[in-house]
Amino acid sequence: MGQNVRRRLRPLIALALAPVLAGCFASGGGTDAAGDAQDGSRLRVALAFPPAENLSPYGADSTILSRLGVTEGLTALDANGTAAPALAAFWQQENDRTWLFTLREATFQDGSAVTPAAVATALTHATQAKPVPAALSGVTLTAKAEGSTGVRITTEDPDPVLPLRLTSPALAVFSGKAYGTQDKVDPVGTATGPFELTKVMGATAATLDRYDDYWGGRAQATGIDVKFVPDGTARASALRTDQVDLAEAIPVAQAATLDKATREVTATTRTTSLLLNTEKGAFKDAALRAAARRAVDTSAFANGVYEGYADAGAGIYGPAVTWAAGKRTEPVGRAEPGKPEGTRITLATYDNRPELPEAAQVLKQQLEKAGFEVTLEVREYSRLESDALDGRFDAFVLARNTLVDTGDPVSVLASDYTCDGGYNIAQLCDKDVDRAVAKAEGTADTAERQDAAMAAEARILGTDAVVPLVHQRIITGVAASVRGALLDPYERTLVGVGTRR
Amino acid sequence: MRRQAVTLLWRAGIAAALVCAIGVLPWLSHTDPALTVLKARSADRDPTPEVLADIRAQLGLEQGPFHLLGDWLGGLWRGDAGRSWISGSEVTPAVLQALGVSLLLMAVALAVAVVTAALICARTLWLGAHRRLDGRRAGGSGSAVLAALPEFLTASVLATVVGVQWGWLPALGWYGPQWTVLPALALGLPAGAVLGRLLDDLLPGAFAEPWALAATARGLPGRTVARQALRRCLPGLLPNTGLFVVGLTGGSVTVEQIFDIPGLGRTTLQAALAQDLPVLQAGTLALVLLAAAAAGLAHVLTRLLIGPALRDGALPSLHRRSPSAHTILPFAYAGLLAGVIALGLPRDPLALDTAERLASPSPAHPFGTDALGRDVLARVAHGALDTLLLALAITAVTLLTGVALGLLPRLTGPLVDTVTALPPVLVALLVTAIVGSGTATPALAVAAVAWAPLAAHTSALLRQERAALHLTATRALGAGPCFLLRHELLPAIVPPVTRHALLRLPGIALALASLAFLGLGAQPPSPEWGLLLAENQPYAERAPWAVLAPAAVLALLGALAVTAAGGVRRGRRRRRRRTEPVVPLPEQHPATQELVKTG
Repeated sequence: MGQNVRRRLRPLIALALAPVLAGCFASGGGTDAAGDAQDGSRLRVALAFPPAENLSPYGADSTILSRLGVTEGLTALDANGTAAPALAAFWQQENDRTWLFTLREATFQDGSAVTPAAVATALTHATQAKPVPAALSGVTLTAKAEGSTGVRITTEDPDPVLPLRLTSPALAVFSGKAYGTQDKVDPVGTATGPFELTKVMGATAATLDRYDDYWGGRAQATGIDVKFVPDGTARASALRTDQVDLAEAIPVAQAATLDKATREVTATTRTTSLLLNTEKGAFKDAALRAAARRAVDTSAFANGVYEGYADAGAGIYGPAVTWAAGKRTEPVGRAEPGKPEGTRITLATYDNRPELPEAAQVLKQQLEKAGFEVTLEVREYSRLESDALDGRFDAFVLARNTLVDTGDPVSVLASDYTCDGGYNIAQLCDKDVDRAVAKAEGTADTAERQDAAMAAEARILGTDAVVPLVHQRIITGVAASVRGALLDPYERTLVGVGTRR
Repeated sequence: MRRQAVTLLWRAGIAAALVCAIGVLPWLSHTDPALTVLKARSADRDPTPEVLADIRAQLGLEQGPFHLLGDWLGGLWRGDAGRSWISGSEVTPAVLQALGVSLLLMAVALAVAVVTAALICARTLWLGAHRRLDGRRAGGSGSAVLAALPEFLTASVLATVVGVQWGWLPALGWYGPQWTVLPALALGLPAGAVLGRLLDDLLPGAFAEPWALAATARGLPGRTVARQALRRCLPGLLPNTGLFVVGLTGGSVTVEQIFDIPGLGRTTLQAALAQDLPVLQAGTLALVLLAAAAAGLAHVLTRLLIGPALRDGALPSLHRRSPSAHTILPFAYAGLLAGVIALGLPRDPLALDTAERLASPSPAHPFGTDALGRDVLARVAHGALDTLLLALAITAVTLLTGVALGLLPRLTGPLVDTVTALPPVLVALLVTAIVGSGTATPALAVAAVAWAPLAAHTSALLRQERAALHLTATRALGAGPCFLLRHELLPAIVPPVTRHALLRLPGIALALASLAFLGLGAQPPSPEWGLLLAENQPYAERAPWAVLAPAAVLALLGALAVTAAGGVRRGRRRRRRRTEPVVPLPEQHPATQELVKTG
């Protein structure tokens, strides 16, 4: 090929290469065009967890949809942890298995009305999902349309916390269009919230537009450009370089690099605790468990490891569960601390949250001071969990959301500390605890249920199977220009009608 | 032609074996894929038996690995690599998209590497073109330091300083050309430093060849001579560059994480951890194909550059003029290293005090403290022995394996490319599945990758030695293959490969640490150097000393290895009068060099 021909071909080659190269970049998540001045502009948000299942509402991705104001359920969780009206304006319990929810006047983002039939279809689809949404595990419910505004929900067994259960983002309501041929749900333009998904770029970005006919009024921001940034340092950098207005879950290590004005700290329902294996090994002995509990100095964690972005461990529920502190009673039936005298133990934790290995190392020093011989085992969480559930470790440092999925305080007690619990890392099987938890589970009245939960907590703490270390606070990076971000202890909301910049 | 067909078959065999091995991985390692998939989908979800059963049914896990594998292979025939176990979306477009991103990143990084290498060689080229190379000292120490920087450290510094504090270039995402600059710099600078060093070592030999003298005598401009010298040396670098290309595409996980790039490294890492087999198989297959393509391309380019001469065996080995060896430097480096260790040993590496966290260097803590208030100097010193002993042992093993396998180039050539292309986590998982997670597993996992560049180096040396005249003479005198191997080939090959292996020592120490999250290798609070770097990485901006101290001792170790290797060279020259042919060290194995490269 002659020099000239080659030269002439060059622009052609460049032309041919341009689309190829463009395909090698990630799509940028919408335009940066500012909206009307009085209407506010688009918000740019960096979320920590990329959608794992194409934004399917039945898994963890439902939280993304709910945080961005895309989806709503019949009820929502308010600041006190009780069920508040959302798509349902009010509800009443007809008998111990049946509830009647009365819908408010609302429309789906595709323009169709939110009818009782549509709500019943949506809930029925959720009950048929495989695996079933976490909020519905162990629950069988049927939803039927009742008149022009009512939805009657019947559960197979009495379910005193049904309105609380329906706050779960996994039970959000979509229009009939969302449910296609397969068991997939398409959340684009089919939900009811103030923001409407318009485009999803895989696990890297998504764009949302304001839904103008939202029943709760028009949102102030015209839309949202979301980026999914799994690396915490990268999220902090994005906020510092003004690439985003809101960055969720800034790691403690990066908090100091942010301006004080942009750090918003919220107490969460996540408690980091030390779980002791009550079934085998050294901590089968209640006296040694008591010795371990006494050896732990919780202030070193809150101030040292978490740099003040945590509260010292008080119980299973932290300060984010607002009613807990006032109802807490002394732990019941604690053993006298024994003498460890060089007892060898294995302490395991995972490195998905960077603070946990650090906490484990501090814990190791504290326990060794008290006379234990500690070996650490740190792995990635999915490589560790089955060993932990099998009781292979003597002790385990776990960060656990205490109001899992339903917002009901009792379910975490049942799954983590009872004989039949599915997530019983402490391998606790204690008759008194089981009885106390069962009592709480059977209590319907909110206040009484909370009292019973606290009584069960006192029983569990009495066994020393769990030593609460800290109650985490979550750091959200909020640019100085942003107003009205919803900083929610339950981590279910972030952007709402009033959020703007 | 037949030889090529056999190589092709062998490559296909390796790829098939790999895909099958991945297909049975969860069953070999007894890690339930339903559980890992559940955790990847939703970390907070409790693994109740019902949920796991639903996922098993959804993925068809009951049918067993071979049925699943058969299904996947059947679909592959039609370009359908199945659906991801985590998200349920189609694998082929997702993997192709990630591959595109990774290839683009790699291409820009390659460009950066070329520019870096050019800058490093510029002086030699200029001097050579003006025939003033005599008596010049070899090797710039600047490039050695650049090559020794851990990738993640360069990346963090670039992202924080250039991206965030100065705000010159975007530090996050992958949305257009200006987003490629910083990550490409992080990947390309150390690689370019290595390539530049190699080229810089070769160039004087080319300028010393008779044709260069003749060309100058005839009055050809110095520029032309320099260009031809470059062309003469480039083929020697191409195999290394090929390995660099292949290794970076699937192995630049750290940089992808720091700059938030949706590349193949992150995709395969996530798939490997979640045991998302369709994605993992497709990603691996793409990387293996890429390795084959890169090897083929390097081959073709070599042909284009110096084809006929190569075919006729008319290329003499590049003889390097004797570099002026350093005599004092290795002792100075060793003294410094020993001094640091001696100062730190009396201190306690485990005593933590959270009130003192991230304290800057002071008389009480000369190297400052880490995130738990531990003395960094003490940790560096106490970690030295473990780190060095283990790394030395692995180096010795890889040296033996590398030389042995490198002597069979046609067998190991495709194997070298393939192993280089694989993500290191996958190799570690495969090794764990086969031998179980014992104490020797991490060492084996690292060694399983680290032999490859040494074998490539051995093969390259072997090719050159075989063509040497004295071998023909010895053969003519009636020497058998064994005699040739023992008395001619091995003595020529082993010393340079040993030097190469020593250069890789720091990289091996870091590779060991990068497996810790699988529960392999050193566990906290052990002060092992790789672990020190990893645990202090999140604090790199707030407490740079906690990262710089271990990085500096690793660089020191690298410098010590480089300069001490000069001693090996001189010893050998005294024994045999023949100057030793020098073949470039193949590019460091980019998969294990994920954290550090030392030149």
